[in-house]
Amino acid sequence: MRTKWSMKSKPLTKRLAVLSMSALMVTALAACGGASTPPTAEEAGKYEVTPGDPFSAYKDEITVTMGRVTTANPKLPAGDTYENNAYTRLVKDTFNAQITDQFEANGEDYSRQVSLAIASGELPDMMRVDSKDELKELVDNDLIEDLTTIYDQYATDNIKQIYDSYDGRALDNATIDGRLMGLPATSLDSAPTMVWVRQDWLDLLGIQLDPDGDGAISLEEVEKTAQEFLKRDPGQTGNPVGIPFVNTLNTTDYNASAYTMLGVASTQGAFPQYWMNGEDGKIVYGSTTEETKQMLGIMADWFKNGIIDPQFGTRTFDDITALYTNGQSGIAFGPWHIPDWGLISVKQMDKNAKFSAYTLEDADGNVNVAHANPSNQFIVVRKGYEHPELAVKIVNLFYDKLANDKDVATTMPEAAKYQETGVDGSTRPFNIEVNSATSLLDDYSDVVRGIKGEIGLDEVRTTESKNNIGSIKTYLSDMDTDDVTAWSKYHSRINGVGLIDKLTQENKFVWMTPAFSGTTSSMKQTWANLTKLEQESFIKIVTGSEPLDYFDTFVSNWKKQGGDQVIQEIEDEIASKQ
Amino acid sequence: MKQGKLKARGRLGTGAMYHMMMLPGILFLLVFSYIPMVGVITAFQDYVPAKGMFGSEFVGLKHFIYMFKLPDIAQVISNTLVIAIAKILLGTLMAIIFSVLLNEIRVKYVKKSVQTIVYLPHFLSWVVLASVVVNMFSLDGIVNQMLAFFGLDHINFLGSNTWFQPLIIGTDVWKEFGYSSIVYLAAITSIDPGLYEAAGMDGASWWRKVWHITLPGMLPIILLMGVMSLTNILSAGFDQIYNLYNPVVYETGDILDTYVYRIGLVGRQYSFGTAVGLFKSVIGIVLLLSANQLAKKYTDRKIF
Repeated sequence: MRTKWSMKSKPLTKRLAVLSMSALMVTALAACGGASTPPTAEEAGKYEVTPGDPFSAYKDEITVTMGRVTTANPKLPAGDTYENNAYTRLVKDTFNAQITDQFEANGEDYSRQVSLAIASGELPDMMRVDSKDELKELVDNDLIEDLTTIYDQYATDNIKQIYDSYDGRALDNATIDGRLMGLPATSLDSAPTMVWVRQDWLDLLGIQLDPDGDGAISLEEVEKTAQEFLKRDPGQTGNPVGIPFVNTLNTTDYNASAYTMLGVASTQGAFPQYWMNGEDGKIVYGSTTEETKQMLGIMADWFKNGIIDPQFGTRTFDDITALYTNGQSGIAFGPWHIPDWGLISVKQMDKNAKFSAYTLEDADGNVNVAHANPSNQFIVVRKGYEHPELAVKIVNLFYDKLANDKDVATTMPEAAKYQETGVDGSTRPFNIEVNSATSLLDDYSDVVRGIKGEIGLDEVRTTESKNNIGSIKTYLSDMDTDDVTAWSKYHSRINGVGLIDKLTQENKFVWMTPAFSGTTSSMKQTWANLTKLEQESFIKIVTGSEPLDYFDTFVSNWKKQGGDQVIQEIEDEIASKQ
Repeated sequence: MKQGKLKARGRLGTGAMYHMMMLPGILFLLVFSYIPMVGVITAFQDYVPAKGMFGSEFVGLKHFIYMFKLPDIAQVISNTLVIAIAKILLGTLMAIIFSVLLNEIRVKYVKKSVQTIVYLPHFLSWVVLASVVVNMFSLDGIVNQMLAFFGLDHINFLGSNTWFQPLIIGTDVWKEFGYSSIVYLAAITSIDPGLYEAAGMDGASWWRKVWHITLPGMLPIILLMGVMSLTNILSAGFDQIYNLYNPVVYETGDILDTYVYRIGLVGRQYSFGTAVGLFKSVIGIVLLLSANQLAKKYTDRKIF
């Protein structure tokens, strides 16, 4: 009779094979254990004090694990961390939900963590993903919750209004097969990359930049200023450095445009990394156009003449920030909010530091800008997490209640304190922005009228603007103030947004609308290689290790190595929508 | 009869004891080395984490073919080979020279402290050492300041395709030669001192002694280490290069591991990454076996 002991007679190798297979089955089965049907809001009601309410707390404490996007300089008070700060405590107090961080990372490290989480199948309960591509992959693999009904039930009217202000673009972008699979960040329709120049240095050297005062300067003016800064070393470090740039382009995301070549590109009418409509109606990749070649030509000349950093290509983002902080360089390309998180460290080191903001105009005096891609950031909830509605409730709390409560100082004193002292918004549980499409200029108008006293503080729409008014008033009353927050708010709002407001009213912007944003099927395999090819070729041209005409070789390589196919796929996708 | 049985059980008992002692090692190998090997099947699939190893679709050699179609692959493999071979050769040479010289130092505490100082960098990770290297070799770092002092031009070591490979090889040799000299020192100690005395009597110079006694005495170990290091010929040091390179020097600095990391993991092409890993292992094992055969043929010594 054969019993299970008869296995003994089999050769050892066979037994080992069976053993290892069964061990594998156990792991495989364990991995499947996570999947379950999502609870409806009614079911969730079992746990909640007032079921279905946008701000309802849980009866028993629940926990939620998160993947968090951090920043270099969040200004957190001593003792507070990303995991335990006024904002996470606010979530605990409001909802009885305890946040723990499964991982915290920044920039590329963050995307790596997300990749690893997806690969290992151990997603945090909630996290931010930074591309539609990742969102799609999570949906295809059935790893995240469908938030459609939860959003309808839980989002406050204000939040719904904010998302609707994008004419559906924001939610559409997070919708796959008719289901809302993530809560999108909103990407304000932006503005040009600016050039921030050390005003105190200009004064010191007696340079008058932008004599007509229209806020737009030419490349030649930037070039001359950079040369003067190099020659006369106003920072007195003995080691001045030209304009530093990062080695990535990242131009399709306005917020990530800091330290990139985008500003130089705009003067040539170039839009690298955007998908554009060509003259013949075909799709064109912005990095392969004649205009982009011209931009590279300018950059190569600058490199040769030392106007840009001789270590171009090898510097990291932090290296570059350090050059400004050390006083080695005084010209920075970046968005309007760069004083709040980047240039603020310059003020911390040098109390005399002041920056003026300019945009770059082309030969005809126009400022070329591309419309930003619709949001590329999404908050997703792990499939099987018991309280998916908490994600919507957190959005309600931070982007509606905290933003609009007129009386934050008494209702949420700790969070109010954070806002006053300018603690970076990245310390909120979700490092995203959810603002209405017009909020940038609306807020600016509030701030300006508030400073002038035309409207009272209670008429100002957001708490943030209220705080900004206070900070800016502080700065205006004492421009040498040690209050770095006052300094940064004045610079970002008055100098930065002020310039955007002015140029918008003067109709100086020439907008380009991208033809496509997103990914196609063959990009999954070829895009990493194509991006590498682009980055490498551009750096070689700028640093002079290849002549400018190498650009044509790059274009033909790019097409051959998969670019043509991607263009074909995009054209098909656009055709199928019409 | 009874006694014989006892005896047999006793023999079995001691044997079983020894075999029991092997058990943790076998289990360890099984769990951490052999079971994960099943994962190589993902190299032949379009692996999707949610579907798992058994649910993903089989695609045959697609990922291997893609690897050899990648435009940069020849460049990347040649970088890997150049960097790895140079590291092995120079590293071994430095370690041999160093151990021979160190052996001549008679003052014990000098010997010990020199040894400790050269071991030290081995214990620091590249994450730490990379920032040291970057600081030293950047345009305004100490190396360039010295070049300027001697009236030479600045060199952008970290951003120059001419200098990046020598920098990688040089810093790796610097980091590791002290540690790898340990085995060579041990080999020297095991050489019979009588041989040196005899050679001394015959009037051999120091150099002659090194050439005819020390080096031949070390040869088996040198061969062993050489054969062993061949398995790593396609691993030119991910940690080091990842922490030091940048897009400017992808051309000469990209090795298989860093390339696959960027194209594969960051682009979430797991199967592709596995395929390259498998390819590396196969080359490694082929090299190991052939080097072992060659060693047997020409020196009559081999590892297994």
